[in-house]
Amino acid sequence: MGTYLVGALNGLAMGSLLFAIALGLSLVFGMMDVLNLAHGAVYLLGAYVAVALLPDGVGLGVFVLAVLAAAAAGAVLGGALAAMTRAIPHHLDQALLTLGVALVVAELLSLVFGNDVHSIAAPAAVGGGVAVFGGTYPVYRLLVIGFGIVLAVAVYLLVERSRLGTVIRATVADRAMVAALGVNTGRVLAGVFAAGAALAAVGGVLAGPILGAQPGLDEKVLLLALVVVVIGGLGSIRGALLGALLIGQVQALGTTLLPQYASFLIFAAMALVLLLRPAGLLPPRTAVRA
Amino acid sequence: MRAGPTRTGTSRDDAPVPPPAKSGIGEAGDRPVSRRAVLLAAAATVLPAAAPLLLGPYPVSTLTRMLAFAVLVLSVDLLTGVTGLPTLGQAAYFGAGAYTAVLVGVHVTADAAVQVLAGLLAGLAAAVVTGWVAVRARGIVFLMLTLAIGESVHQISDTWSALGGSNGLSGMPPISLFGGPSLLAAGFVYWWVLAVAIAVYAAVALVARSPYGRTLRGIRDNEPRMRALGYRTAAARYGVFCLAGAVAGVGGALWAAQARFVSPGDLSFEVAALALLSVVIGGKGSLWGPCLGAALVLLVRDNLSASLGGHGPLLLGLVFIAVVFLMPRGLAGVLGARRRRGSGGPP
Amino acid sequence: MSPILELHGLTCTYGSLTAVDHVDLTVRPGERHALIGPNGAGKSTLFAAVAGTLPASDGRVMFAGRDVTALPEPERARRGLVRTYQHSSLFLDCSVLDNVALAVQRRHRVAYRFDRPARRFRRTGAEALRHLDAVGLAGRAEEKAAALSHGERRQLEVAMVLATGPGLVMFDEPTAGMSAAETERFVTLMGDLPDDLTVLIVEHDLDVVFRLAGHVTVLHLGRVLASGPPERIRADEAVQRAYLGSARTEDVFIDAGESP
Repeated sequence: MGTYLVGALNGLAMGSLLFAIALGLSLVFGMMDVLNLAHGAVYLLGAYVAVALLPDGVGLGVFVLAVLAAAAAGAVLGGALAAMTRAIPHHLDQALLTLGVALVVAELLSLVFGNDVHSIAAPAAVGGGVAVFGGTYPVYRLLVIGFGIVLAVAVYLLVERSRLGTVIRATVADRAMVAALGVNTGRVLAGVFAAGAALAAVGGVLAGPILGAQPGLDEKVLLLALVVVVIGGLGSIRGALLGALLIGQVQALGTTLLPQYASFLIFAAMALVLLLRPAGLLPPRTAVRA
Repeated sequence: MRAGPTRTGTSRDDAPVPPPAKSGIGEAGDRPVSRRAVLLAAAATVLPAAAPLLLGPYPVSTLTRMLAFAVLVLSVDLLTGVTGLPTLGQAAYFGAGAYTAVLVGVHVTADAAVQVLAGLLAGLAAAVVTGWVAVRARGIVFLMLTLAIGESVHQISDTWSALGGSNGLSGMPPISLFGGPSLLAAGFVYWWVLAVAIAVYAAVALVARSPYGRTLRGIRDNEPRMRALGYRTAAARYGVFCLAGAVAGVGGALWAAQARFVSPGDLSFEVAALALLSVVIGGKGSLWGPCLGAALVLLVRDNLSASLGGHGPLLLGLVFIAVVFLMPRGLAGVLGARRRRGSGGPP
Repeated sequence: MSPILELHGLTCTYGSLTAVDHVDLTVRPGERHALIGPNGAGKSTLFAAVAGTLPASDGRVMFAGRDVTALPEPERARRGLVRTYQHSSLFLDCSVLDNVALAVQRRHRVAYRFDRPARRFRRTGAEALRHLDAVGLAGRAEEKAAALSHGERRQLEVAMVLATGPGLVMFDEPTAGMSAAETERFVTLMGDLPDDLTVLIVEHDLDVVFRLAGHVTVLHLGRVLASGPPERIRADEAVQRAYLGSARTEDVFIDAGESP
């Protein structure tokens, strides 16, 4: 029994990270129909920032510094992507552009950091374990779960309760109408793009002590984030949260029970959701389309 | 008086008739061909066929890989260029074909024709099983779903021990043909791959010019209108997805015939991305353009990479970005525009 | 004669907005039936619901004596209930001939054949060309549809929709954006349509409506305000109030109707 509960906790930690990563992907798609294929590369950038700044046994302060540095790097890359995609009219070409950026960024990272598998230690202060369900469980993962909860609440407050959030939701529903109302959608879109990328990079740092950093991780993370977004509903924040929690559990249980078929389970989950709810579990509330 | 929906009762298929000397209703491409075009076509056939006589074994095996990759790229073009469905998942069907061909080669027979057939069926079957998920969407969401399918299949191949896990499958004997001896020389393998690739090219070209090809172009241009004309467009898209899966499977079998080895790397995201890049470089919808793009892309990845310190993908990524910005219609678009200008036709 | 199209309490709602509100309508075979009404009356929504582009929230659509409410758009089109769009909806990157051939080859059941090039299906090609000829576009068969002018695109649309072998055609504002000469040509084209073809037309140009239609239905705020022969509609007070009260731009109605 304990194994399963530990697995469930692992799934919760994974879900928290996936929520942070998938949020930007989903919003960028929902608001401007841009499929950002460089999202995984942004994540990997964050992970390598952690590799560069976090030798074993650092304090919490340095860790927070690394998180901020990754957020800044991600925001810059996201802003650049937003600017580049705005210069191109077609959605397919935009996706191809981000694909090119993904290849370039991943290749530059392997140029700098080599092709080895890097592991990243959790900060010394939270490196230990606590007794949970009759075993020990890493404190760090509990902190990641806490981060996920804080992030979910913060995003909820921002999107549902603030004026900016109203603009974001309205833009997902009907971009042309928001622009017609005189809102500078360009700035909002660039801001969301940058913030989403920053979150993905932060996800890279936070996931560092769990997943490490290595070439190819960007694709795996991009896949997971895509599945989360598809399952939850494109452009839906609540959907991203639900999808992340679901895929986190599927991933964790799959790894515990059927390690060989974990990726198959994820695909099966996506196929199942698409079969039953083609628009995702919690599609965004859209405007009336005549 | 027709009170209800009309139906043409007598409409059975037309009997095949010899092509008229001058049909007024053909496509633009049916116009009488110029002497220059004939020369070009002859050169395009003779030169590749003579390659093994002129080049050493290493360049010949490079050309063989280019041909196999070009077949994969044709399958991407069938979806992306002809039907307007951008895909990042074709490497999965390519991989299904390659794995099947290697398994057949190791366990069943060295006959290359059987392997290609098995690869075709494997690609087709994989597309039949997974395609219905992908064709529920179109446009960028389709791209997203195919990417998810492709990556899932990639990771399955990476973890499934029956397929050798991340080590892949090796030990495939050299291919033979129709009960003959093993084809050890790179040139013979090349000729076999060339013959199959030409056959696939002809088949894809036929599909593109057939009534079904017209249906697919209609879906690309305006799917809602196709529905209003009475087309069940989801079925048409599913059909072409399965066809493209079969074509990619053939490509995978050809790839295996040359490499005699297959690993998860052969169906990675990068392969799918490079196949799509080839189509974009070559020009969506044109068939020869993407084949040229395939050759270029593979040349950069496998041959120029060493002189770039192993970082060919960096160059390819930059090329990707440059192509999107500078020539969105690809090589075929650039060359086509020049030709039209030269002949004084409409812009 | 039994009606070809019957709507029973057809209703379409978007959230709290009821765009089409319990509409009953009967169209008889061979009729030229016009649907008019001020902006926002629900004409386009009604069209979409009848064609199956949009699902109806309530009510029934009967076509040729059969309930088609549950059928998706392609199945309705296959039964002969076809529509055009307010803005020309063509296959711009395909040749003009291909646009019509797409409609013909579906009916000839060769749309999924890929064993021979399309030009070898000569009966399909010849019939497509005949339809192009009927609208005066045969000379431009090889050009891309994108090369056609606005008026020509409308003509091509008519050729396309007739090539589907329809029982009932719904035209959604066919003369919108046309020049006076183009409109004139279009009215002639409509007059030349086979007598047994049923036409349901949404049209803003009331001059066109009263020249073409044998039966007019007025829609206002999603409901049927009046329905009958053109002379009676012109004289109907409720109709005039609806038009005058809604928008200045509809003043044209007074000219067309020559109100007493």
